[in-house]
Amino acid sequence: MKTAAKPVAVRTLNLVQAVNEALDIAMAADKRVMILGEDVGVNGGVFRATEGLWKKYGDDRVVDTPLAEIGIMGSAIGLAITGMRPVAEIQFDGFMPSVFDQVVCHLGRIRSRSRGKMSVPLVLRAPHGGLIHAPEHHSESPEAYFCHTPGITVVIPSTPHDAKGLLLAAIESPDPVVFFEPKLLYRSAKGEVPSGHYTVEIGKARVVKEGKDITLITWGAMTVTCQKAAERLESEDGASVEILDLRTLAPLDLDAVLASVSKTGRCVIAHEAPNTGSWAAELSALIGERALLRLLAPVARVGGWDIRMPLFRLEQYYIPDADRVVMAARKTLKF
Amino acid sequence: MPLKTIASLDIKRLEILGIDGTVDKSLMPKLSDKILLEMYRLMFQIRAFDERAILLQRSGRLGTYPMITGQEATQCVPPLALKPSDWVVPTYRGGGVYFARGMQMRYGLLYWAGDDRGTRFPDGNNDMIFSIPVGTHLTQVAGLAWGQKFKGKGGVALTYCGDGTSSKGDLHEALTFAGQFKLPAIYIIENNGWAISVPRKKQSASQTLAQKAWGYGVHGIQVDGNDALAVYSATVEAVARARKGEGATVIECETYRMGHHTTADDWTRYRETKEVESWKQKDPIARFKKFLAAKKLWDEKKEKHLAAQTKVWIDGEVKAYEETPAPNPLNMFADNYAAAPWNLIEQRAELEELLKFKGGAKVLMELPPSEGRFP
Repeated sequence: MKTAAKPVAVRTLNLVQAVNEALDIAMAADKRVMILGEDVGVNGGVFRATEGLWKKYGDDRVVDTPLAEIGIMGSAIGLAITGMRPVAEIQFDGFMPSVFDQVVCHLGRIRSRSRGKMSVPLVLRAPHGGLIHAPEHHSESPEAYFCHTPGITVVIPSTPHDAKGLLLAAIESPDPVVFFEPKLLYRSAKGEVPSGHYTVEIGKARVVKEGKDITLITWGAMTVTCQKAAERLESEDGASVEILDLRTLAPLDLDAVLASVSKTGRCVIAHEAPNTGSWAAELSALIGERALLRLLAPVARVGGWDIRMPLFRLEQYYIPDADRVVMAARKTLKF
Repeated sequence: MPLKTIASLDIKRLEILGIDGTVDKSLMPKLSDKILLEMYRLMFQIRAFDERAILLQRSGRLGTYPMITGQEATQCVPPLALKPSDWVVPTYRGGGVYFARGMQMRYGLLYWAGDDRGTRFPDGNNDMIFSIPVGTHLTQVAGLAWGQKFKGKGGVALTYCGDGTSSKGDLHEALTFAGQFKLPAIYIIENNGWAISVPRKKQSASQTLAQKAWGYGVHGIQVDGNDALAVYSATVEAVARARKGEGATVIECETYRMGHHTTADDWTRYRETKEVESWKQKDPIARFKKFLAAKKLWDEKKEKHLAAQTKVWIDGEVKAYEETPAPNPLNMFADNYAAAPWNLIEQRAELEELLKFKGGAKVLMELPPSEGRFP
């Protein structure tokens, strides 16, 4: 950036404000960065993540597209190949399956199929997860489908600080990044965010708190649930709990996972998606393969049930709460 | 060789009932007084229901709710041209369609209150739940129509999508199938001017949405979607074509979403008040009332009576909705498979364990009866 460095101010922002600020900084710094999606322009996005950007950067760079997710995804791929830096928004997680053909068959393969001649430096943003009393298909956790797809980086922050730093890193990444934003945390997660440009390294987990007896591995909004569970396990059970917020799901920070699990010997993986075929399943396999002899108990997984996400009256019984994490942790500790 | 014109399109727009209540007699369909009064009742009642639902949401008694107001003619009238055995798949905004199909609206409220028991349609009706990822039902409707063709009893499938959804590839594939296999399908494009904040003109450079149909060998027509008589006439013609095995029809109903996209939206962020006001002049109910009055079928006394009846009906539906006991959390495991596999059996037991952990052993005794089939 050519502008003289301004003094860094640290403010308290919520997660959606942090996303907005990252987009603003990226667009100001690089004319190739553009935003496309449904209702992202005049309306500023249904969660207001792009608020004010259309006014500032205009129709050409903040584009209200027709209602067509495949159109958004495919044209973002084309734009990225030509050297643009598109940041595409899919309005809700439940609309992500629409873009699947583009993601699975093309997004992560173009670098390899062009023998390294082409790359697809785009970011695909989408809200993630439940518990905001949203309508059907608005509370999904589809990360495993994307993590399973080669060639794609998958990121999910749980704090405003990380949201801004990771989104800037994602926009600057030479490869495609799927960037999930936990919608429960959009306004409820508040934290200190430095002004100006900074990045958080993609591929690095965050130790939320250190502990000795058990590791809770988690991501997204479940990080907050795990913090509540840890407080109870410490006060009611006298357990010392470590929490690892993965932040990047693919590629995994395997070193951080193995270091923590090797230290505690006990591990609960907590997430919102159905357990079967989940990213927790992959983590569990990796821990089994590489740290078996350090384990004092089987790896436990706490996730959604293997059924569709119910309508919101029952969502609190579907998405794991602190009770479920505590129950699983107690079984693991007593094993 | 000179260039030859090998195809040209002739896109028609049907309007019968003017905003002053007068009709074009040459286009007027044959309709009994009884059915005219039924059209009015349906439109009148669903608007009152819509207004109550919004109030319920605003007072915290309902979840996010999509407004219907302005689109009553487009929604309430086409079902009148159908039989219960015809398939109908509305959009998420299609409360008026379900109502005209005879749905008890307490279930509509229950659905928007986040309760899975709200997807209950009248027994004997071939009604399907809408798709929230918009347009994903459109190819399924081609299949429903195809199934009707196999049955050979003249059944049809009628569905809706919005102007926004008409941009999705789903419609392209659905109409490709409907045209290729000459399916008895009716696709109503409920063009209400706005896909959340994106206006129709930013949705497609196509002059009309109706004309898209012809590219697939499907009949297409635009109608004034706030004109109940035009909507009826176009639907009857499309249904007749379908029943005779002459293929599918796209009906673009040009209407207007008078309210927000949903209660979670705020239209003042993206559209002009004067545009909304201009559509008030084209209101589907007001003009139909003028038409009925001119035919001496309606007066203020009848209007008052209907309003009173409607209030009683809505009060009853709201009461039934609000008195529905909270769902048993274990319900969510029912009806996922014809026979539940081991993981669901285990996980349901795990949920029971969680409920006990939260509230003690007596909690399970106090739960409302579980519903649905399990295992």
